[in-house]
Amino acid sequence: VTRRPRCLLLTGCLLAAVPLGAEPAMPEVLLSRQLMEDHGLRPGDVVQLSRDGDPARARPFRVAAGYEPTPDPMRFTAKRLEARLHLADMLALSADTRDPQARESVSAINVALNDADAEAVKRFTKDVQARLPNLAVLPTSGGGAADPFVVLERFHVAISVVTILGSTAFLLALMVMRAEERREIAGILRLLGFRRRRILLQVLLEGLLVAALGATFGVAFALLLEDVVNAFFQWRYDTALVFVRVTSEIALRCVAIAAPLGMLAGLVASFTLLRRDVGELVRR
Amino acid sequence: MTPVGFAWRSLSREPARAVLGVAGVAIVGALLFDMLLLSRGLLVSFRDLLQATGYDVRVTASPAMPGTGPMLTDPARIIAELRRLPEVGDVRAVRGEAGSAPRGDRWLEVTVLGIGPEPRTEGRLLRGRDLTDAVEPAEVVVNETLARNLGVEPGATLVLRPGRPDARTAVPPRSYRVVGVADFPFDMAGQRTACMSLAALRLGQFGRDADAAEILLVASRPEMGPDAAVAAIRRARPDLHAFTIEEFLQRFRQGDFSYFRQISAVLTLVTSFFAFLLVATLLTVSVNQRLGEVAALRALGFTRRRVAKDLLAECALVVGTGSLLALPLGLVLARVLDDILRGMPGLPERLHFFVLEPWAVGLHLLLLGVAGLLAALWPVAVAVRLPIAATLRREVVS
Repeated sequence: VTRRPRCLLLTGCLLAAVPLGAEPAMPEVLLSRQLMEDHGLRPGDVVQLSRDGDPARARPFRVAAGYEPTPDPMRFTAKRLEARLHLADMLALSADTRDPQARESVSAINVALNDADAEAVKRFTKDVQARLPNLAVLPTSGGGAADPFVVLERFHVAISVVTILGSTAFLLALMVMRAEERREIAGILRLLGFRRRRILLQVLLEGLLVAALGATFGVAFALLLEDVVNAFFQWRYDTALVFVRVTSEIALRCVAIAAPLGMLAGLVASFTLLRRDVGELVRR
Repeated sequence: MTPVGFAWRSLSREPARAVLGVAGVAIVGALLFDMLLLSRGLLVSFRDLLQATGYDVRVTASPAMPGTGPMLTDPARIIAELRRLPEVGDVRAVRGEAGSAPRGDRWLEVTVLGIGPEPRTEGRLLRGRDLTDAVEPAEVVVNETLARNLGVEPGATLVLRPGRPDARTAVPPRSYRVVGVADFPFDMAGQRTACMSLAALRLGQFGRDADAAEILLVASRPEMGPDAAVAAIRRARPDLHAFTIEEFLQRFRQGDFSYFRQISAVLTLVTSFFAFLLVATLLTVSVNQRLGEVAALRALGFTRRRVAKDLLAECALVVGTGSLLALPLGLVLARVLDDILRGMPGLPERLHFFVLEPWAVGLHLLLLGVAGLLAALWPVAVAVRLPIAATLRREVVS
């Protein structure tokens, strides 16, 4: 299949123990689903790959199969036009012929530890650095404060805080109106012998109920929207990445923030009302 | 009394309610305003950075973004070829490589920029002078961070070697004369930069491909413009990829930056709806509490139109005051959110996510105005359709 040269991400893997196909004559390649769809390719097609887009330096490869690239949050906006080659084929294709060491070089070695807790990672890092001081050992999780996802999380938390502030003002205004609406009722209850504390408890419970119901509705709404948001962004960026996940922890956190806020709003709203004299409350 | 005066009295009669309503609109409005600033902030900021270099066309070896695709080989020949084009004013090649500089017994990472063919600093010179063709020792212009971290100033000697501090290399370190300190537009926070000529970069053996450049910066002739220059380059060298700044930005818009555009679009919708909900609820509850008062006013001779005007004025006062307060509040919040997002690795320090533009102020006011107007429709409808006698009777009986 002859195509206009495109820039691809080539990944070389040590796949010697797992042959991609039976035909040894032509090297084989795995292509990402996106690349297969983009170029209308099928397993068995022959593609030309070159290091720099120069057709003179291109080599033919037989497409063994397509694959779904592992969703990578760091590159979810990029179109995943990728190919996986045997490491030897990739080095033959991409190594600098002027550099004798180029065929002996790889950019990274992925290591999966049997025991992957933080202590084991630390021990392994220390061990490798002691034996091979020129190697950089980087854990694949927990990029620290500069991790883009830690930054994005902080951004989303900041937006949540502003939303909570807006919601609190909204809730407070509502509770003030509700309290004012029931000024006379509060006065009558006081005349009937209800103590301030009893009325206050009622207001607090009402605030708690409103906030808890609101938060539950919010969580239910988020659960309903979860699939819609994921479907939209997965379609938009052609990725299998999950963008929104409403976990039980998040749902609980949402209710845990909303409930005390509702109680607080009820308390603040009724405070001025309950300080007033009974006569003032029942006066029309 | 005018509807505005009447609305003012209604609001000031219940100050707590009015203040909370205004505060709610101001907070939600601030978030809405920020989302509008975010929707184009990165592009505007990035365009400013690209334009600050004075070059309006970029040329790369592949459609990939600079630094991620193959290098341009033999840049001197390409530059000579492009300079012959009548649409092209100036061309320069840029290449970035990893280097290290010693401080005590440690090596610190330094980004080494090579500029050619004429040695000229990419950034704005702060102190000292620009690069010359001097070879022994070769000259470098450094950024403030490097000058501060290594305690070097114009006239000092800087030792550099290729590769990151942890890389094994047989290439010996070389000494360079620091001739200036400059502000480089694409520096990341904390990045140490040393800029030298392409010839010095080659001599120092920075990078594998000796004769290559990452990107060519092209300045079109003012009378021709960047589009004509790009067309001419594409005709002359169809194997190269030339982009105007706008085309370059278009690629960012569709790729890396689109997440923020979309999150801002979603949050703009959500915050507008939230503002609508807030004002609608407050006005509806407020009207429901004052049905007797509205009926009495109607009985006194207030027309339906007048009652509607009073309520609309009340809504306008709450939404208008909240919207105006949202502007300074939004700017402060934008600063906070911008500081958070700029903590992302790999971003130029001068890039901003939130950029103030006049259209954003206008759209913010328009969206809140529309939300307020829509929110007022139901309470206004309730108030104007109120049966006067029945409402007054109910009020007296209750």
